Amino acid sequence: MSRLAQPKTSPVIKRDGRMGGGAGGPDGELHNDIRRMNLDQTQSTNADLVATEICPVCKSSRYLNASLRFLVNPECYHKMCESCVDRIFSHGPAPCPIPKCGRTLRKHRFREQTFEDLRVEREVDIRKRVAAVFNKREEDFENLRDYNDHLNDVEDITFNLIEGIDVEETEKRFEAYKQANSREIEENAQMAAHEKQSFTQQQKVERHQAKQRREAARREEEEERREAEENRKDVLKRLASGADADTVAKEGQRVQLRKRMDRQAAAERQRQLQAAEDARNNGSSNFVIKGLKAKTKAEPEEPIDPFGGLRFVDSYYSLQDDYVWEGIQEAKKDVRQTAGGYDVMDYARRSLVAAFSGLGVFVADEVTQRDQVGQDAEAVGTARADIGVKDIGMVDAA
Amino acid sequence: MKFMIEDLPVLFPYPRIYPEQYAYMCDLKRTLDAGGHCVLEMPSGTGKTVSLLSLIVAYQQFYPEHRKLIYCSRTMSEIEKALAELKALMKYRADQLGEVEDFRGLGLTSRKNLCLHPSVKREKSGSVVDARCRSLTAGFVKEQKDRGEDVDLCIYHDNLDLLEPHNLIPPGVWTLDGMLRYGEQQKQCPYFTARRMMPFCNVIIYSYHYLLDPKIAERVSRELSKDCIVVFDEAHNIDNVCIESLSIDLTEESLRRAGRGAANLERKITEMKDTDAQKLQNEYAKLVEGLRDADQARDEEAFMSNPALPDDLLKEAIPGNIRRAEHFTAFLKRFIEYLKTRMKVLHVISETPPSFLAHLKELTFIEKKPLRFCAERLTSLVRTLELTNIEDYQPLQEVASFATLVATYETGFLLILEPFESDTASVANPVLHFTCLDAAIAIKPVFDRFSSVIITSGTISPLEMYPKMLGFNCVVQESYAMTLARRSFMPMIVTRGSDQSQMSTGFQTRDDPQVVRNYGNLLIEFSKLTPDGIVVFFPSYLYMERVISAWQSMGILDSVWKSKLILVETPDSQETSLALETYRTACSNGRGAMLLCVARGKVSEGIDFDHHYGRTVLCIGVPFQYTESRILKARLEFLRETYRIRENDFLSFDAMRHCAQCLGRVLRGKDDYGIMVMADKRFAKKRSQLPKWISSALLESDSQMSVDQAVASAKKFLKTMSKPFPAKMQEGISTWSYEDLRKHQKKMEAEKPRMDEDGEEISYGQRVLAQAREMEDEMDVDEDMDAAMMEVEVGR
Ligand code: SF4
Ligand SMILES: [Zn+2]
Ligand SMILES: [Zn+2]
Repeated sequence: MSRLAQPKTSPVIKRDGRMGGGAGGPDGELHNDIRRMNLDQTQSTNADLVATEICPVCKSSRYLNASLRFLVNPECYHKMCESCVDRIFSHGPAPCPIPKCGRTLRKHRFREQTFEDLRVEREVDIRKRVAAVFNKREEDFENLRDYNDHLNDVEDITFNLIEGIDVEETEKRFEAYKQANSREIEENAQMAAHEKQSFTQQQKVERHQAKQRREAARREEEEERREAEENRKDVLKRLASGADADTVAKEGQRVQLRKRMDRQAAAERQRQLQAAEDARNNGSSNFVIKGLKAKTKAEPEEPIDPFGGLRFVDSYYSLQDDYVWEGIQEAKKDVRQTAGGYDVMDYARRSLVAAFSGLGVFVADEVTQRDQVGQDAEAVGTARADIGVKDIGMVDAA
Repeated sequence: MKFMIEDLPVLFPYPRIYPEQYAYMCDLKRTLDAGGHCVLEMPSGTGKTVSLLSLIVAYQQFYPEHRKLIYCSRTMSEIEKALAELKALMKYRADQLGEVEDFRGLGLTSRKNLCLHPSVKREKSGSVVDARCRSLTAGFVKEQKDRGEDVDLCIYHDNLDLLEPHNLIPPGVWTLDGMLRYGEQQKQCPYFTARRMMPFCNVIIYSYHYLLDPKIAERVSRELSKDCIVVFDEAHNIDNVCIESLSIDLTEESLRRAGRGAANLERKITEMKDTDAQKLQNEYAKLVEGLRDADQARDEEAFMSNPALPDDLLKEAIPGNIRRAEHFTAFLKRFIEYLKTRMKVLHVISETPPSFLAHLKELTFIEKKPLRFCAERLTSLVRTLELTNIEDYQPLQEVASFATLVATYETGFLLILEPFESDTASVANPVLHFTCLDAAIAIKPVFDRFSSVIITSGTISPLEMYPKMLGFNCVVQESYAMTLARRSFMPMIVTRGSDQSQMSTGFQTRDDPQVVRNYGNLLIEFSKLTPDGIVVFFPSYLYMERVISAWQSMGILDSVWKSKLILVETPDSQETSLALETYRTACSNGRGAMLLCVARGKVSEGIDFDHHYGRTVLCIGVPFQYTESRILKARLEFLRETYRIRENDFLSFDAMRHCAQCLGRVLRGKDDYGIMVMADKRFAKKRSQLPKWISSALLESDSQMSVDQAVASAKKFLKTMSKPFPAKMQEGISTWSYEDLRKHQKKMEAEKPRMDEDGEEISYGQRVLAQAREMEDEMDVDEDMDAAMMEVEVGR
């Protein structure tokens, strides 16, 4: 993607001295306002608390009128009571009555604030706008790092918009991105909508199932209670007819236990069926295709082969675990040899290598070859290398 | 005394051993050999701790693996007791073996108990001590000091760096007290000494939290190896501990303070940008690269650690949108603001984490991923900013923990918002409970990590409930009866008053004056006949208050007053400890006293009423939990759906374990005696849920009594108890000398082949006990397992 934010190496954002007071951003002034609010708030939280209860326009207070509702307009986020809004803006757009604001407001855009902190209220509005455009997902990126960088960029833009830093430029970048990625944005938005829908659906289903399970459990309990009662009556009846008390009681308990077991087994079966069904359903209907963006996968790296295909295999001989030869056998048992970590088999291996190392090298051939090559002075180096390769190559080939 | 269990020589620091102790040790060894988990129930007052320690220490020293023992207990006093036992044991071993083994045993408790710093240790609250200590010991503070800045350091902590890191304290067993003294002498911090020495200890004794609470465990118990033997003692409440360690409650006040914390962070960031932008820059660069702070591993004093469990931790880089410090604080603020709006709702809400996250995203565009990294990011930021007054950020830390947890776990948790404290309250005081429903979540890493986990307690019945609830398999599951030469305690169930009307604290009859009067009569009668102390347990504070005032107006308390002093437990712990003290004095000087307390209160757990401090315990009503609690309801539903534990089964299990705890309070040894009265008609059906050692002593004839019958048999019982009973008569039956033990072992061996032929799967310990029981005569109550299962709970 195009790099939109300033380079990562400068997290300390340079402040715009004019606070975006130019034509580009109404947010600049707004930012000033909000900063003022900010200051007021930090100065005295107590006064602030009182202030939230009084309409700044008509001065009616929540204290006297408990049903007082306050509204804000996302144009300037000045708060006023519902009746003031009705009074001032019923006849079409009018300027904000708060001193020094004067922005033109429309009634239909007034709403109740969601967050206690108006700055957050505004921030969320801005985020909404940004999130609608920058809606790439993790699957759209080659790797996590890119995705994180993207998130970082988006956050930078959002932050600039919120804080009123470089508003003009940021807006430009914003628009540019929007233009450039309009198709993708559309796609992702649709996908998100789809997901959300299926999520709510799923939630609904789950809630419904939970309720059913709860009811089933209650029914089961009810059932059990009834049975116990019946059982008791039965036992009493039989006792009344003169049966042996002990056996009757035992019998009764056994019957009850069996019933309970049966019921549990049935419930278990039911649950399994249900689970299977769920699995099937999930497989077909709620399936969302994700991450089908073309990604070029890097070729898997081949294992490093420092000798260019040569392998060192002992093909003339094979090393045995043990050699029956006095010299070795003795050394093997001798503590003085083994204490230092000396492994007798190393000796055997080395001897064998030494014994076979000359095989397959034909000196006479090489001499002639060298003589030939020697004429071409530049090639000497390579030839030497060749000979070396051949040397090993013999072992390999044999 | 020295004896062999199979090939293992065990040194037991007493000349005599109880049969059940021997059986317990045999089963323990079996578990350790098999390499699995086990649940063991051992009657209270039969020397569980000492048998456990002597077997495991013997095991440790005998086999070449030298498996480390991690012994977890609940309270500070229990830890201290266990340390003292261990010390005595090691001393005995040294005497017997003729040499002092190279052995280290240390206890660890919170800083509050181990701090030596003159001003820090005077702080009242544990979290303040922690925070202040951190600001005196954090790595960057030391760096600042090295740079020559004027900062305070804790000298006790610094001195540790001068010592050899693996030999901060000489070998031996150190009680907490001993550690404190040694620390004062050497001017070194006992807390850090213990913590740093943990990898070099043979035995560690500390509280559950150091293993279960991920916020602490990550830091403290990280280095313990897989073959450690983990013991949870007094573990009957372990499921609740697990749940609490992952639950978080948020209130409006804590959110406000968290918000202030976030604002402070923001200010600090701006300050730092002006003075030392490079630091922030460095942090940022590191986060971009996805590097975990290397110091983080070493820093034992991190601000907080991730509340998610180790296997759920994400090991990726911090998401891009909270990389920058200022972005992160804005993020936090937004999250806190969101939580505040949720608090404004005036009806109860319960929702699952996924639906919470969905709503959160819709409203504030906060995604799940950055939320998961909240705790980690905050820790990193706090470290970068080098904050010293960490205690101010506690609420913020809580919010961050909450964020991480809610984004990490989809199931097993529930969010419950309760706007009002009680149903009748009219002023909103909202609390957002983020509650863990599944005890298995917190303890799972423990079972996964350690090959042998031993769960044991005096009252942990029914045994099969625990593996079910905590999600593990055990190789040994055993409950031991108590071998007694004479019947020294007498459990009974009183179901009717003298007027034959039923007695119950069930809510239909709760306020029935007749029931209250019957309970009152019971109280009067027992206060007359019991010598010295009598302890009465009520199901709840509310009920206790109501009944006491009713008794007052009926003149019942006045009659009790004639024979006993009356003392009452209150929710205030200071008042209660005063009451306890008075109670003990009254018992000791012969006046006798009665303590009225609550089955789930402080007294019921951890305070012993041995000998004359408690001759009768009276359980008035079955101590069920308050079922209207939404958290409990949610948990019940979860248990039903996930573990197939039915609501009534769980409630009754929970009530009975508390009841058993209460009953166990009065009997603290074999030479002790006492009466246990369960006064409620519902107890008659719950007999099978009592621990085996109580239920096997409960005679059929004693399980459906009326008040006057109970009084008569209690009198008879006390009369037999008043006859002298020389200790010699216990020998060979309820206590074994070495000869008795050998005799028994021989017999076992002779029997062994026969057993094997039968192919019977009877545990060794069981056989031991069966043997021992043959020698007793009277208390042979058959335990019909079928009957236990058939006990159908009809309306509790
Ligand atoms: S290092 Fe130890 S002595 Fe010093 S403040 Fe911390 S706990 Fe206290
Ligand atoms: Zn107004
Ligand atoms: Zn305005």
